[in-house]
Amino acid sequence: MSVPVLQAEGLSKRYGRRAALSDCTLSLPPGRVIGLVGPNGAGKTTLLQIAVGLLAPSSGAMTVLGASPASGPAQLMRVGFVAQDTPTYPGLSIADHLRFGAHTNPRWDHRLADERIAKLGLDPSQKAGKLSSGQRAQLALTLAIAKRPDLLVLDEPVASLDPLARREFLQNLMAFIADHEASVILSSHLVSDLERVCDYLVVLVDSRVRVAGEVEDLLATHHRVTGPRRDRSDAPPGAAVIEESHTDRQSTLIVHSDIPIMDPMVSVEPLTLEDLVLAYMSQAATASLPAMEIIR
Amino acid sequence: MTWFAWRQFRTPAWITLTGLGVMAVLLLVTGHNLADEWTSSGAAACHGSCDAAVTDFIQQFTSGANERVYQAGLLAVYVVPPLIGIFWGAPLIARELEAGTHRLAWTQSISRTRWISTKLAVVGSATAVTTGLLSWAVTTWSGNVDAADYPRITPAIYGARGIVPIGYALFAFAVGVTMGMLIRRTVPAMAATLAIYIAAVGSMSLWVRAHLVATAHLIVPLDVSRIRSFGIANKGVMEVLGGAEPSNAWVLTNTTITQTGHVFTGPASAQYCANPNQGPRACLDWVGSLGLRQYVTYQPASHFWALQRVETGIFMAVAFLLVGFTLYWARRRLT
Repeated sequence: MSVPVLQAEGLSKRYGRRAALSDCTLSLPPGRVIGLVGPNGAGKTTLLQIAVGLLAPSSGAMTVLGASPASGPAQLMRVGFVAQDTPTYPGLSIADHLRFGAHTNPRWDHRLADERIAKLGLDPSQKAGKLSSGQRAQLALTLAIAKRPDLLVLDEPVASLDPLARREFLQNLMAFIADHEASVILSSHLVSDLERVCDYLVVLVDSRVRVAGEVEDLLATHHRVTGPRRDRSDAPPGAAVIEESHTDRQSTLIVHSDIPIMDPMVSVEPLTLEDLVLAYMSQAATASLPAMEIIR
Repeated sequence: MTWFAWRQFRTPAWITLTGLGVMAVLLLVTGHNLADEWTSSGAAACHGSCDAAVTDFIQQFTSGANERVYQAGLLAVYVVPPLIGIFWGAPLIARELEAGTHRLAWTQSISRTRWISTKLAVVGSATAVTTGLLSWAVTTWSGNVDAADYPRITPAIYGARGIVPIGYALFAFAVGVTMGMLIRRTVPAMAATLAIYIAAVGSMSLWVRAHLVATAHLIVPLDVSRIRSFGIANKGVMEVLGGAEPSNAWVLTNTTITQTGHVFTGPASAQYCANPNQGPRACLDWVGSLGLRQYVTYQPASHFWALQRVETGIFMAVAFLLVGFTLYWARRRLT
């Protein structure tokens, strides 16, 4: 297998006594669009900022594309980053931003940058401070893309956008992914933002990876099982219970099973990605079970 | 990156250039007038005893608008260095941290160290050039006035002449950058910069500068006809200060000493100094008969450039240490 795009080993980050990330171990495959999903405060931003070299971990180690984050210009060149709230220089024009990108990135793609700005219908002489938040996010994305990175990291890029701008942004991102062979890591606390773009999903809760795997495999191996009331120990053979809910007469289990469930007493339904993620998140809230790696 | 550092600095650079331009026009126009006064008073052409001509020149100078220009120049050279620290230094890193733009800047393909050192080099050289030009223009314009009446070695004038303003400005700039990086917010960093600047430059002027170069001293017989002050406290303790003064110098201490070299403190003679029927004249005459000497330590005008070099060197050395610290901190600790 080729070099993981991101590998973390016992990674922790503390601010005084407060832990923003504790003992995070993670390995992400290359060539995927990876969605990093988890509730606020799960450590997503901390993890991504360590990956792009903005933060240094308090303990543990991380490699990105096989090297230490931000270890030098060569490593910085390979990783593009769109920070949360997509910061830009309000006093500088769009053209100034592009020129900044061109001056600071050896692999800068002038044509790609200019074309994208033209396609977005933006006036290059406009100041970034006068742009809407959606336009500013598009500018930040353009800067990160025109750098021609091997890995593009986006930290909650659409969190502050309205639904229309959100859709446009994600469409643009998908167009880029279709045209270029870059790995992408994209975080969000909303599954709905991720499910149209990502082919690999990581659920991060309290610095722990709850589940990680190809979206397709996740959907194929998780089921909602409804039937007469039963205990969780009485689950179908080969199935691990993720979440359970009971009424007087009926039980609903969300289970992970690699083999088809053949039980005439129950009805088996597929899960949506959102239900799946929510099941893992609520499981984390009630019990601390070991993380599950879904490998076909 | 150099282009970007200039681009971010464009607006302050234009404002400063405009300010320098206005100052240059003012000094050029009034400089002609001042030169005319210097010539018409006869001070320009005189040899030997020029006292009358110089007095005439100073009279012309103080009665016209030139005195106000002189004071404005003095003020400008004093306030520009702290202003540079506040408006160029403090926001340099703090504004990026405040707006989050450091996350954009530091994830491009250049190292943080290069990003900061380029900015420091661009704005730092602008700092040196701005204060250098300003101080040179004001020092040149004020040359004759300083020589005639306001010795530039004295503390009130010294800090606005020669090369020390460059040292002050680089120091203020470095303090501003460092405070901005540590405090991470522009306005508090500005306040901290001003406080540190005033403390440092004030301490230098009050306590340190006098000792940077070995002082000169003057010992003359006490001349009671030219006494500066004269007092008798309780129990006959006397304080007598002589009026002899080295010309064009910064006087540091002035004491009256006895023939054995001790500071003269009396006791006052009961016969001459405590007799209500006699005036102070008798007491003074008695003091004059004791063979006292006046002992003055001072920095002469000839020490001006030596002092300037040492003081500028000190402030620049501190500025470079702060820059080194900033680069280290930004690479290792700043997030």
